[in-house]
Amino acid sequence: MSSITVSARGVYQTDEDFLSEVFADSVPKSQVVWLKGELRQSLSDILGHDYNGLRIRYWRDQNKSVWILEEIGKEQPITFGVVISKQKVEAVKVLAFRESRGDEIRHPAFTQQFEQVTLDGNKLDRQIDGISGATLSVWAMTSVVRMALYLDKFTSS
Amino acid sequence: MNRRMRRIHRILGATIALFVLMLASTGILLNHTSDLKLDQRYLTWDWLLSHYGVTELQPDAVFLIDNKVISQFGQQLFVDATPVLQESRPLKGGVSQGETFVLATDEALLIFTADGEFVEKMTSSSGVPAMIQNIGLFHGDPVVQTRDGLWRSDFMLEQWEKLSLQGVGWSVAQSMPDSVAEQLQHYFHGKGISVERVVLDIHNGHIVGQYGPWLLDGIGALLLILSLTGIWMWAKRLG
Repeated sequence: MSSITVSARGVYQTDEDFLSEVFADSVPKSQVVWLKGELRQSLSDILGHDYNGLRIRYWRDQNKSVWILEEIGKEQPITFGVVISKQKVEAVKVLAFRESRGDEIRHPAFTQQFEQVTLDGNKLDRQIDGISGATLSVWAMTSVVRMALYLDKFTSS
Repeated sequence: MNRRMRRIHRILGATIALFVLMLASTGILLNHTSDLKLDQRYLTWDWLLSHYGVTELQPDAVFLIDNKVISQFGQQLFVDATPVLQESRPLKGGVSQGETFVLATDEALLIFTADGEFVEKMTSSSGVPAMIQNIGLFHGDPVVQTRDGLWRSDFMLEQWEKLSLQGVGWSVAQSMPDSVAEQLQHYFHGKGISVERVVLDIHNGHIVGQYGPWLLDGIGALLLILSLTGIWMWAKRLG
């Protein structure tokens, strides 16, 4: 099967390439978690709105899980890739950015803030510094990281 | 002089009588907008909507799956007249799988329940073939046509095998049914143009475009001349 073409504007890395990078070309079979009951409600609380979708796909290999999630920044969905290891963030990346502004969140100088972050209740255990002019994108990334940490905890329990 | 003034007065009076009737009647209507509920009554005449720049709906894609009308307007996907998902890639087709239906873009498969609730977007990272051109069914199994051949899966859509076969029932684009088009028209354009807006635009001249207010200004000037000639004749008679 041929790899997906990087043609869309603002696609920095394809989902496939991200997974290959994380799992060193030995990508495990994907799994799905169905969003029902308390889980669905918790995700709504984290995002501040209902999650549009009945299930979420993820990839897990031993203690590491990978989540490819989308969240609206201002008007357009931003695609994030989040790697969780031992219930802490190992890495977060912007895979596709479709907004006209706010893409500064993709720079490592910003994303490094999330490394080793974990959940304290339903919130992150560390304050994340914002970026002037990219507030909504920062919020979207923070929500998605919280969501990935929550889902990792839920699916590993 | 007096005869000439009377002639001017008569011609002006006849010329602007219709405008005076129009201004007076629309003015009275506007004074009673709330009583007559003109702001709550709407007109949906095609020519009027067109005049106000409300153009006819032009979906980018329409597919009929079971009893559902699936359409795409820009980045918005609709199931019947309900917005369900933002999708930037163009819709290529869709097939029913009983309890679910599957839509295909060139990069992903979008899974929905039979009721139209979004389940999941599956991309090449989930094993879905890339560069999809169409989707169809072969003996109930989903088949996608891509640039490098045909791929067949099962209802899980996770394992795909390449194959060559005939007799696939491909998804075919359709035209929008009138009933759904009407609901979508309502979604995009609201209820129509309010009667109050139309009456106000007739009253101030905006109904005929950017030069309408200038036309009304001209009528106003003629009314001034009519009044002045009337006063002049009246004063002459008194004198």
